[in-house]
Order: sequence, then structure tokens, then C-alpha cells
Amino acid sequence: MNKFSSIFENRHDYARDWKKRSGGKVLGYYCTYFPEEVAYAAGILPVRILAKHFPDDTTDRLMYGNCYVTRDMFNQFNLGHYDYIDGLVCLESCQWWYNAFDVTMQVFPNLWSHYLFTPDYPDGNRSKDVLRSELSVIQKKFEEWTGKTVTDAELDNAIEIYNTNRRLLRRLYELRRFNNPVILGSEAMEIMLANQVMDKAEANKMLEELIPELEDRAPGEDRVRFILIGSETYDAELEKLIEGVGGNVVIDDLDNGSGYVWNEVVPLKDRLMAIGLRYLGKPHSALKDNVWRRRPEQIFRLSEDFQVDAAIIAKQIYCHPHGTDMYAVWKLLQERKIPYHTFERDTTLPYEETRLGVEALIHVAKQGMTRANGWS
Amino acid sequence: MSTNQLWETKPLEIWDRAKALRAYWQQSIDDSAADTKLLLAHGNTGDVSWRDYFSNLNIIEDNPVGAMMASTSDEFSRKSRLASEVRGWGREICGYVQNCWGAQFLGYQQDGSVFPYRDLSVPFTDPCDQHTKRGQQCMDLSPIPRWGGDWPIYLGEDDPARDKELIETRVWCTLKIIADIERIFDTEFDDASFINDIKTERERSDHGIRIMNLMTKTPSPLSQKDLYSFYTLGGLTRLPPEILGDFWQALIDEIQWRADHQIAAVGNERYRYMEAHPSPWHFLKYMRYLEHYGAVCIGSQYSQMMAGSVSWNKETKEFERRVIRKPEKDVENVKTREDAVRYVLTEARGHRFKDDEYFRKNEITDFAEGFGVQGAILALWRGGVGCTLTRKEQGLRLSKMGVRVLHYEGSQPGDRTDLDEKRFLDQIDEWMECQGLQKIS
Repeated sequence: MNKFSSIFENRHDYARDWKKRSGGKVLGYYCTYFPEEVAYAAGILPVRILAKHFPDDTTDRLMYGNCYVTRDMFNQFNLGHYDYIDGLVCLESCQWWYNAFDVTMQVFPNLWSHYLFTPDYPDGNRSKDVLRSELSVIQKKFEEWTGKTVTDAELDNAIEIYNTNRRLLRRLYELRRFNNPVILGSEAMEIMLANQVMDKAEANKMLEELIPELEDRAPGEDRVRFILIGSETYDAELEKLIEGVGGNVVIDDLDNGSGYVWNEVVPLKDRLMAIGLRYLGKPHSALKDNVWRRRPEQIFRLSEDFQVDAAIIAKQIYCHPHGTDMYAVWKLLQERKIPYHTFERDTTLPYEETRLGVEALIHVAKQGMTRANGWS
Repeated sequence: MSTNQLWETKPLEIWDRAKALRAYWQQSIDDSAADTKLLLAHGNTGDVSWRDYFSNLNIIEDNPVGAMMASTSDEFSRKSRLASEVRGWGREICGYVQNCWGAQFLGYQQDGSVFPYRDLSVPFTDPCDQHTKRGQQCMDLSPIPRWGGDWPIYLGEDDPARDKELIETRVWCTLKIIADIERIFDTEFDDASFINDIKTERERSDHGIRIMNLMTKTPSPLSQKDLYSFYTLGGLTRLPPEILGDFWQALIDEIQWRADHQIAAVGNERYRYMEAHPSPWHFLKYMRYLEHYGAVCIGSQYSQMMAGSVSWNKETKEFERRVIRKPEKDVENVKTREDAVRYVLTEARGHRFKDDEYFRKNEITDFAEGFGVQGAILALWRGGVGCTLTRKEQGLRLSKMGVRVLHYEGSQPGDRTDLDEKRFLDQIDEWMECQGLQKIS
């Protein structure tokens, strides 16, 4: 467990070390719709750009109205934290991410870069064809960049490694479905985030060692079970706060949480099509939950499967995709009588007011509890 | 002519026609609830105006509706936004969207009449996150038919093969929407008129380029405030093409005459400034305030979008149509619906989502050079991401070429909440005075 926490905390050192060991290139990306398998097959380490809170006296010159996450992403480039990144890829997704990519490229024009179109309407009949075409383009770009031709065998290997990683991380989620789960939400989230900055082959080995250890753990304390919904998270501070007042996040509907691992690539002869279909078929992000909605249904399924007592919706200030999608989530939670608490945050957590809100929610959830094991 | 007047000026004769169009548009909204026609939400389908060729389709764009609400009734637009916010919509969401769909939740419009509930919705991804999601409120309300017209783009070097695949996706989406509307609503698309209008479309959009070029002249024959009205009425309100054709012809004739005779929009023009994206629609009077200093706003990248995709020719000193991709078939050989859709979308590749963001910052200096501006007022809007993206970068680029930049903050062009009007005017005073300009009228 501590190994993952340590890698997550020292993720820049991990990537520098990986580069030294492998001689490969490191590619930064922003959005969970990025098809990492194609980069990995080309010998590139895809690293998710993660925000943290650092004093910021530079981003205001080029940014306005951005969420603090995207400001910090740019800030960290300016501070030199991402000096090991060789290239950046931007997707058709949240515009603040696009802006972080754009200003970073202006200040660091020598970085390799690529814009990958990922359909905004993932269920559209032709979305698979256009994404397949875009994957073919980015594969060629990677080949030019690295001077290495990507073979089918390498794509198969990457698909297998990534599928294994998803399966292993899903096992962590399954452990959280039990009553009194053996793993806390904060521990699980740190593992999830560490996996997004690691070489998946190395992460898989660590997970294969860790999961049996977790399964041997004694059941955890009885806690109020939460689902965490909202903007992507970049640390486990909220989960820790919830645990501090008697709760536990047992499931999430976050893009870089369950959304990162919920479905696998189904192998096909056309490898790029198979990869594309996996990303189009993943649980919708808020921005891409358009036309006929899927996200509320997914949230409800997760809530049932993981027997949640209440929901926490944490939205980044200035997060437009979640600002426009919260309506559907509130409607669902109200209809299904799931108590919830919504709050806004930035790269820091407003600790006291959040704690008060969570405590109040726990009191509401406990009063209404009808679960078989009940509360004293 | 007063002592401070530098140019002859004259009220625009076309205002009466513009007001009639405005009334026509308002009436079409007011009648919509009772109208038997299908009511389309959005339909802001970019370069293929398929919406005009279904005879039983009314279109209401939420952007002009939301802007009008904020402009005419702060009380009602606040009430509407609150109706959205209490249902979970974020505070930073576009004011247009919040106003329009908040009224849907209330169930009535500003005048108390029944809210015209939409029968179908076609949101699309151009040009911001809010556009991608803005059809959601009416779609969540009831199971109306809905489509997503993906808007595939890429940045970086030109790649014809890649482009072709992206164009075909857009062609497919457009054809699918048209065919589905025909099937679901048992209605007919007027292919003959559509194809015919494609052939004359160039002439109509050339008017926009001509107006743009005429506004580079000194004195400027139109100001931004006038232009906003014409741009909105002539484009965003989606009036029938036959009405608009006549309107644009009359407009271009009058502006040409004004330019030829040096008839100014602002009689004391001695300072030219530009903008980038929409101004606060409820407070356009700051433009009149700036006229006391002899300052005229010659437009913005937003209002000049009426010209379509253009680029500045540094040699001829004129704005020209930008055609990145030539359609495979000449316009004369466009025979079918599919030909027509592909033709328009291929030619339109120069103005797409993200390209827009690219052009905004990289070509703003060309815009400033073309219009010969000394200053730029660039709003920083906290809501509606597309209204703000790249604004700071634009300011830096303009400053570097010697254009004096004023930023001011507010919520969103359709949301009055955070715009401090007095402070804004104070900022303008300081901005003008620090450039050595005093009020002259």
C-alpha cells in the first residue's frame, strides 16, 4: 500500500527514474479518453498530468476563468515539476484542459505535441470510425517521434497489460462492495492515482502482490458508505476527511476513478478499432454525456451495487462540464431518495465547511438507514 | 456640425427595416407556444443551414433569447437563472443558457405567456463546452428527439487525408439529422431550394466580407453597436433566407454609400478600438459613452464572423475569404443533398471549433492591423467558457504590437450579476485619459 502512496507522492521522481532506466519518452496527457495503449505500444510512458496546490504567481498572465486544476497544471510546468515530460497530447474534451495545453505549448514550444479528436457524442453512429481514423494518425505520429514502428504484437501486448491493470483495479473496487470493506476509500484513490502515472507493467506486479494482502485483512469498521461524484480528483484528501468523521467512500463516479477502469478493450483483429471502442464505451464523462444520457444510470447502478447510504458531489469551481451536468445527478438522487451533499472546491479542500457538511449528511443518512446490518 | 465634429454623420436608413425584422423575430417566439410548427431548440448547425429547408420548423436559439432577457428584465432573468441553479446548474454556466432554460423551468416567458417547449433539439460542439451541453436542459425535461452533430477538428499542420475523415463524419451527422427529421416528423426537406441556395450562398456571404472591408475605412461607416444588431438579426435569429437576402442587400448598399461619402458612424471619430468577443448586451451604452472621447468600436472577431472564415491580406490590405480545402466537385456539379452537404462542409473547413480558438489569438493582430485600431477592450467573462478562452493571450499579443488593452470583468454577456457598470465606466475614463484623450462632447 505504502509503495503506491509513495509513488503517487513522488510521481515526478518515479517518471524521471523510469526515463533513466528505459531511455524512453514520457508523454503528458490530461483526459481519461486518451488511448494510452497506443502510446505504450510505441514505448512511450503516458503520464497523467495531475494538479496539486502550489503558490501561483504566473498563470494569471495567460489564463482567466480557468478552474484551479488547470491553472496548477500549467503552474507546475512553470515551476519545473514536469521537466521530464517530452511531449503533451490534448484531446477534444474540457476547454480548460485545452487552454492548459495551449498555454503550456506557448511557453514550452519545444515540447512534442498532438491534438487528438475524440467525439463529443461518443454514441454517435460514426464516432467509432472517426476515432479509429484519429488513432491511426496518432500512431503514425508516435512512430515518427520515436523512430519506431508499432507492430500488432506490441499493440496486443499493450492491450493485454492495460486490460490486466483494469482488471486488477476492478478487484480493488470489488473489495469495497463488501460490508465493512478491507480497504478505505483514501487508500484506493491513492492507488488509482498512482496507477495513472506509472508504467502499467510495473503497477500490475505491485497490484498482484498487494491484492492478496488486502484480502487477508480483517474487515474494516462499520462506516456510512458514500459514493463520490463530480469533477476529477487529484488527491485523497476528501476521502480522508470523510473517514475522519465516520464515513467511507466505497465507490466513485469520477473520470479518473471508476471511469478509468470500468471497461476493457475487447480484442479484435483491427486493434485500433478495438481500442477506440473501449474509450467510446467507457462510462461517460460529464462533458460527453450528451443526447440520450447514460451517466445518471451509471451512478444509480454504482450506488445500488455498492450499497451507498449517501452521495458527495465535489465540483471544482469553474468546472463547466459538471456545472451543466449536476442537474441530472441531483434529479436522479432526489428521485431515488439518496441523500447528498454538494460542495465546490479548488486544488485545496475547504476543510472545516466540508467536514461540517459531511457530518450533517452522515446524520441524515443514519436516521434514514434501513440497511440490514443497521446502525446502533 | 459642432466644433468637435470631424466627419459628417447621418442616421442609418435601414434601421426601420431592422426594427421590423426584430419585431418579426419576437413575434415568432411569442407565437411559438401556440404555433403548430415544430419547434427546434438550437439548430445552430454551423455551415449547413438545413434548418431553413423544412417548411414546418421554427427555430429558437437560446443565445439571443437569453441575451434579450438579461437586457430587458434583470428581474426576470435573475428569477430564471435561479430556477436553473436550484435544480443543480452551476453558477459559472453561460447566462444565455441559464436565462432561457430557467424560463423553461418556470414554465412562462417574460410577458407571462406560456414557455414554448421545444419539440426537438440539435445542440453541437461549436464553439465551446457550453454549446456541447446546452441542449441538455430541454432534452432532460422530456424525451424529445435529439441529435448531436459532432464537430471534428484538429490542430497542427494541414493533413488532407485526416481532414477528409473528419469532414465525412460531419457530412454523415448532417445527413442523418435531416433524414431522421423527415422520418420521425413525416415532413419533407426541400432539396431543390437547398441545392439552389448553396449555389448562391457565396454571394450572400460575400456581403459580410464587403461590410468588414468597408469598416476598415476611416471614418468607419458603422460602429460595433450597429453591427451587433445586424449580425444578430442577420444570422443568429435564424430568420427565413428570402427575408434575410433582401435585408443584407439593402444593408450593403447603404454602407457602401456611407463609405463612398465618408459618412461616419461616430461624427467625432479620432480613436478606433476593437473587441474580441461579446459585450454585455444589457450595457452596450458604454460604447456611446466612449463616443464622448471620439472613440469608435469597429467590431470584434465575434461580430465579424458574419463574413465567415477570412484572412487579412497584408499586400492588398483587404480581408479575403479563406478556403483551406477545395471541394472535389464544383458548385455547378452539385446535384444531390449529399453533394450539397459535402460541398459546404468541405469549403467550410477553415472555420471550425478549435480553429476558432487558434485564429482568435493568432490572428487577432491581423485583425487589429486591418482595422487600424489604437486600442482594444477585451472582456473577461467568468461564465461561459467560450466567451473568455484565450482572452489574456490576445491582450498580450495586442500589447506587444502597441495596441492599448483594457480588460474588465463580469459574469457573462447574458448575465448582469457581476458587472460593475460604474467601475467599468471609471476604467474607461482612466484608460482614455492615460492615452492623452479627454472627453470632447
